[in-house]
Formats: sequence, structure tokens, C-alpha cells
Amino acid sequence: MLGPGVAWYLGIAAFLFGIGALGVLLRRNPLIVLLSLEIMLNGANLALIAFSRSAGNGAGQIFALSVMAVAASEVCVGLGLVVAINRKRLSMDVDRFSELHG
Amino acid sequence: MILASAGGVVVWIVWVLAGFACLASGVAVVSFSNPFYSALALIGNLGALAVLYLLLSAEFVAAAQVLVYAGAVMVMFLFVIAYVGPEQETPWVGGPGWQRVAGVLAAAAIFLEIIVAIGLKAGGRLRHSEHVNAPFGSPGWIGRLFLTDHLLAFEITSIVLLVAAVGGVILGAHTKRRDALGEPG
Amino acid sequence: MIAGAWLCLLAPLGGALLITLCGTRLPRRGAAWLSTLSVFVAFAGAVWSFFGLRAHGSEHGSVSTAWTWLQSGSFRPGLSVLVDPLSTMMMLIVAGVGGLIVLYSIGYMDGDDEERRYFVYMSLFVFSMLLLVEGGNLLLLLAGWGLVGLSSYLLIGFWHDRPTAVAAAKKAFVMNAFGDTTMALAFFVLIAHSHSLDYATSFTTAGHLPQTTVDLVALGLLGGAAAKSAQIPLHTWLPDAMEGPTPVSALIHAATMVTAGVYLIARTHPIFEQARTIELIAAGMGALTLLVAGLVALVQTDIKRVIAYSTMSQIGYMFLGAGIGSYANGMFHLMTHAFFKALLFMAAGVAIHAVAGEQDIRKLSGVGTYLPWTRRAFLAGALALVGLPPFAGFFSKDSIIAAALHAHWYGVILWVVALAGTFLTGLYTFRLYFLVFPGEPTAFVREHHHAHGGKEGPWTMLLPVGVLAVLSVIGGWLQFSPLWHPLTNWLEPVARTLGVAEPTSWQEGLSSGLAVALGLAGIAVAYLVYGRGRVAVPRLPGVQRALEHKLYFDEAYDALFYRPAASLAAWTRRDFEEPVILAAGPDLGEAAFDAGRGLRRVQTGLLRTYVLFLGAGMAVVAIVFLVVR
Repeated sequence: MLGPGVAWYLGIAAFLFGIGALGVLLRRNPLIVLLSLEIMLNGANLALIAFSRSAGNGAGQIFALSVMAVAASEVCVGLGLVVAINRKRLSMDVDRFSELHG
Repeated sequence: MILASAGGVVVWIVWVLAGFACLASGVAVVSFSNPFYSALALIGNLGALAVLYLLLSAEFVAAAQVLVYAGAVMVMFLFVIAYVGPEQETPWVGGPGWQRVAGVLAAAAIFLEIIVAIGLKAGGRLRHSEHVNAPFGSPGWIGRLFLTDHLLAFEITSIVLLVAAVGGVILGAHTKRRDALGEPG
Repeated sequence: MIAGAWLCLLAPLGGALLITLCGTRLPRRGAAWLSTLSVFVAFAGAVWSFFGLRAHGSEHGSVSTAWTWLQSGSFRPGLSVLVDPLSTMMMLIVAGVGGLIVLYSIGYMDGDDEERRYFVYMSLFVFSMLLLVEGGNLLLLLAGWGLVGLSSYLLIGFWHDRPTAVAAAKKAFVMNAFGDTTMALAFFVLIAHSHSLDYATSFTTAGHLPQTTVDLVALGLLGGAAAKSAQIPLHTWLPDAMEGPTPVSALIHAATMVTAGVYLIARTHPIFEQARTIELIAAGMGALTLLVAGLVALVQTDIKRVIAYSTMSQIGYMFLGAGIGSYANGMFHLMTHAFFKALLFMAAGVAIHAVAGEQDIRKLSGVGTYLPWTRRAFLAGALALVGLPPFAGFFSKDSIIAAALHAHWYGVILWVVALAGTFLTGLYTFRLYFLVFPGEPTAFVREHHHAHGGKEGPWTMLLPVGVLAVLSVIGGWLQFSPLWHPLTNWLEPVARTLGVAEPTSWQEGLSSGLAVALGLAGIAVAYLVYGRGRVAVPRLPGVQRALEHKLYFDEAYDALFYRPAASLAAWTRRDFEEPVILAAGPDLGEAAFDAGRGLRRVQTGLLRTYVLFLGAGMAVVAIVFLVVR
């Protein structure tokens, strides 16, 4: 394989996953949270494809494509929620939706 | 030989550029306060990732990434962001202070653990990559895999998409009817 | 032939399922006729397999396996039916007599609120009984055994608004469950040694086992047989079971279910022959039961209970026959008994039906005046029961008695007891007959009979009674041991009579003569005491009280099992539950409340906090994987 080894790709994947997690944990705007989730999913996808290449096995790519489909579903539902929040004239802040507390 | 090593150098250069774009755009997505810019940065991130996929001989996934993800999904994102409008009053971060600290710690811990795990294995199996043939990652090859070995995953994925589409429609239509009736939320 | 067996097995099940599924969409009469039809279809299947087997020759029994029923290691019993002379004979009896009794039920149960449920249970019972006799291995036999117990429980407690009926059903179920348990234990021993419950394999294995083990297996089987067939000491449920509807008594507690024990002994006789002690215990148990049941029957005042005790007594004869190795004679008596005992129950049912459900023989007195045909049918059944020639009981019972005489010194004791039993049989049977049927009708009978409409009964009730009356007369001509014995030959391949049980002709003659004479003597005494009233009943208050209390078996079980259990329960309630558990209750509740109040704070409702905990948990698990690997 030309270029860097699989471990380097995995490093990028780990960084993407970590930075996405950081976004989800810190940001309060639901749109940014969704975008950060996309970053996390993409990190996982990169790892899957890197492993697929390393093992010479197609299952990783199949998995990555399935993850993409799931991400699209998640965006569909998530954006639906965002639109619904906006319709209700509610604040764009995930911390404000905390009525389900004990 | 010279040609091969020249190819290697080109690949390295492409990898460094794409990797850097990937990391930078990732940081940008998380740090912009305006979601519109975040979404634009994510498109850049997806493009850079597509380049990395190409380097990993995953041609079909790269194409799907650009067409479906960066094209269709992100357009939907941008549309919704435009519809909602810029929400400047949303605080950048917030919540209790310990949440901020613990969040950074947890994210860093996960990142470091993955790096350590990779490092532990980097000398072993990860060093060698299998030799792959030309069809590896091509659309025909992926299609055959999907319709033979991974048919169940394929079908279940389609069901997931269908459910999500129905859910999106219901989320939209429900609120509309409630608004039309003038009921309090 | 095999198809006939499957048809025979599945038709009643189909009937039961169909009635259940249709529910109220099916008219009541429809349910009744469907059930009857299903049992008669089963009879047709039985006839089919009988002629099929006859065409092949009775030694060519065959097993048909539908699929492996369950699998556990090397133990894999199949869902199979067995067609051999013994099972075919039982199929014919169960489906044939059962069909007549279900037909009789149509008239008897007319107008009952829950008729459909009744007919579902009847079909289920016939299915269970057929599974018991047709099952191709001991496990299916046990399944049928348990299902028969269940349907008997359901049918005894059919009138569930009567507390006595519910109590009787529970009693029957518990007693039968005891027998099921001992049988299951015996089967466990067999499985442990042979990894199979197939008849052939089990019988071969039994031949190689140590004597003690075989004895235990046989004892377990005998426990099951005694519980199901109401032999002393597991007999107390049968008289109480008369709380069920009369056709149920006829079907379950006379014709089929209670004879399952005899079938079991005949079926598993290779095991019993390895354990001769246990087999002789079975014979002794039968002798004791026939004597005790005959004595108790003398003082009972409920018409159905008298017949129930006579059933116990007759099954005692069958156990005696099977126990000394005269299996064919035991099975022959089982068949004729099915005819005449079902007849007696159903004739009694006609009388009970005619007087609005009254069962006390003192009130029923003289009912024969209004029911001339029932009276004749009952008389035929009674003569068959006593065993006078040419009625059916003579041929079957006397061959058992004669076989007992041939079985060395132990057999002679049994022979004497069996002969005493024939005297008692004549006495109690004709006490019942003379008290109920002839003579002047009592005011009670007159009043209720006219209210009833003055007819003997619907044809659905009279036809089975008539058919069984004819069978009670001629059913025994099938076999007359000294001259011709087709039944013994038919059963020869499955249940060969032991050599000790083949009497010589002078033994036959002596036994028959004495049995008939003693039976006649019993009838004569009954006539003098109850028919004419010329001889007063001897006053023996102690004996009478003992017999009226059925020799205190119920009281003994009460004192032995119920009272200790009840006092143990009362003690644990007083000394353990109330001071320990109930006292700890409030504190435990308070502690749970406090814990909940504390944990409530964790539930912040903040999405990001939940994600944080998720991420932190993931980090910890990753560390664990990294360290442990």
C-alpha cells in the first residue's frame, strides 16, 4: 500500500471521534450537536474503511455504507425535531429541554 | 522503482493535505458559533474524508460520501439552518462548570485511549496490509457484496430509512396540525 | 392401519379444538353433535386399525413416528403411535364405549348452561385416553396419563359452583398427581439406564438391571397404576369423584380411565415379570381392594357411590388377574366391565335424570315403575356384574378367579378373597337394585317424575343404554376359557399369559361353580333383606359405622397429611411471617423511599449530562479492555 500505514488513518479517525464527542458534550445549539454527531460517525466510518483496506475484506465498506444510511436517517429525524422546536418558538438550547428530570 | 517511489511521495503529500484539512475542518465544525459556518466546515470535512477513502481504495464509498452526504444531506442541513435563522443568543457553551471540565476530560480520555490502543497494535497486524485487486471498492464489487453476503444488512438499512422518513413526516405534519388548531404546545 | 390409528388419535382432539375455536358461534346442539361425531370418527379409525392389524396378523404390531418429539442428548423420544393387539383393543373400547357415552351426554346435559365446555372436555378426555393407549413410548404414555388426570379434574369439577365438586376435583387431581410422580420417577430410572423410553428398549434394559432397581421401577409404575385405578390405599378420590355429571362417571370412573392401571400393568408386564414380588403385591392390592370396596358398598346410600365402589372392586379383580400374570383375562374383564359398568352408570343416570337429580337410593325407591326399560337394562348390567351365565361378567371374572387358584399357595388366598368378593358383589348390587327399581314409587318419585314429563328419556340417552345392555349380555361370549379363547390368542404376541396362570379344567369348573353359587347366594340374601324385607339387617353398629366412614381412610389421610401441613403453615405464619416479614416491611419500604429520593438527583433531565455519563462509561470500559485484554 502506498503512503502512510493504516495506523495513521486510525489516528485521524480517533481525532475526529474525540473532537465530535467534545462538540456533543460542550455545545448547546442542537444544530451544532447534530453536526458534531456527524463528525463522530465519520470518524467511525474512516476507521471501518481503514480496517477494510487493511484486512482486504469488503465487510468494513458495507458497514460504512450502512452507517451513512443510518446517519441520513438520524439527520432526517433530528432536523425534524429542530424544525418542530422552531415552530413552537422555543429556544435553540438543548439545556432548556430538561423537563424529564426527577 | 523510481516511478513507484515518486507515486509514494505523491500519496504522502495528498494524505498530509487531506488529513490536515480533515482535522482543521473538524475543529472548525465544533468551534464556530454560527451553525451555518459549522455546516460549511462539515462539507469540507466530508470532502477531505472522501479523499482519504480514495487513498484507501474505497472508491464507491468515496463517491457516495460526496454525492449523498456532502451533497444531499448537507443541503438539507443548510436548508434547515436557513429556515431556523441564525441563533446568536444561543450560548457557545454552558451548563454547570463541572460539566464543561468533565466533558473535556471524557473526550480527551476517549481520544487518548484509542491512540494508545492503536499504538499497542501499530507494530503488529496493523503494519501489514493485504494486497487487494483492482475491483476492490468498485461499485460492482460493493453491489455484489450487498446482494449476496450482506443482503440482510441491506434490507434492514432500507427499513431504517423508511422508518426515519415516516418519522420525519410525522414530526413535521403533527406540529402543523396542532398549530392550525391553535392548541397550546 | 397406521392411518386409522392417527385418525383415531387426532379426531377427538380436532373436535375439542373446533368447539373451542368456534365458541358461541356454534349452537349448543352443534357442539354436542360435533363432539359425538369426533369420537365416533375415532371409533371408525380404531376399527380400521383393528382390521388392518388382523389382515397383517396380530404379531405384526407397528410403530409410526411423526417426528422427534423432544431431544435431550441421546434421549430422543418420538411422537409416535403404536398399533399392536393391546393398543387396538383399548382403542376399540375407549372410542366405542366413549362414543356411546358422549351420545348419552347429549340428552343428559341438555339445557346445561355450559354445555359447550362440557363437550370440549369430553373430547379432550377421549383424546388423552387414546394418547395413553396408543402412545408409542413410555413418555407419551405418561403424557396421556397426565392429560387424562387433567381432563378428569376438569370434568369432576365441571359444576364449579358446587364446593363439593371442586373439592372432589382437587382430591382426584392430587391423588393422581401422586401416581404420576411415582411413574415419572420410575421412568427417570429407566432413562438413566437405557437413554430411552421405547417399550422394547426399556423392557430389554429391565432384564439387565439389578433386582432392587427393577423392583423400584415396578413399584413406581404400580404407584401410578394404583392411583389412576383407585386401588387401596390411593382409592379415596373415586367415590368423591361422583360429584361430576353421571356420563362423566360412566366414561371416566368406570369404563376407561380407571382401567388405565390395568392397561399399564399389561403393557409393561415384562418389567413386572422381572419384579415378581411387586407383581404379587399388585395382585394382593387388587384382592384387598375388591374385598374392602365390596364391604363399603353395602352401606352407601348414594346410588352413584355404590356403583363407584363396585367399580373399585371390579378393578381389584383386574389387578388380581394382571398381578398373577393372567393379562388377557384382566384385559377381558376390563372390556366386559366397560360395557356393564357404563351401562349401570347410564341406567342410574336415566333414573337420576327422571327425578330431578336426586341420588339418594332411599328417595329413589320404586322409580322402576315409571322406567320399565331402564329397569330391565339395569338388571342386565347387574347380572353381568355379579357374573351369572350367560351374562358378560361370568366369562371374564370366572377366568380370573380360576387363574388365581392355579397360582400356588398365594393364589389360593387370592382365590378365597375373590370368591368372597363375588358374594359381596351379588349382595350390594342387588341391594341397590331392590331398593331403587321394584316396589311402590315413593311420593318423592311420583311428584318429580310427573314434573319431568313422564317419559323415560330422550332417544340419545336410551339408545346407548340399549346398545350397552345388549353388549352386557353377549359381550362375554367372545371368550370362554375352557373352550375357545380368541382374545387370549389375539393378545398373545404382546402379553403372553404366565404359565402359573393357566388353570386346568377342574379348576375352571370348581371356580365357576362356586362363583356362580356365591353370586346367587348374594342375590338371594339381598332379595330376602331388601326385596321382601323378611329378614332384618343384623344390627352391628360398630361395623356399620366403620363402613359408613369408608373404613376411616379419609380421616386417616386428614390426620396424617392435612393436619400436620396445616399446623406447620399456621406455625410459620404465627412465628415467622408475622414477627419477621411483616415487621420488616415498613422499614424496608422507608429505606427504598430514601434511596429513591437520593437517586432522583441523578436524573437531571439535561441531555448533555447523560451523554457525559455515556462517554465517561465508555472511557472506563475502554480502560478495562486495555488493561485486561
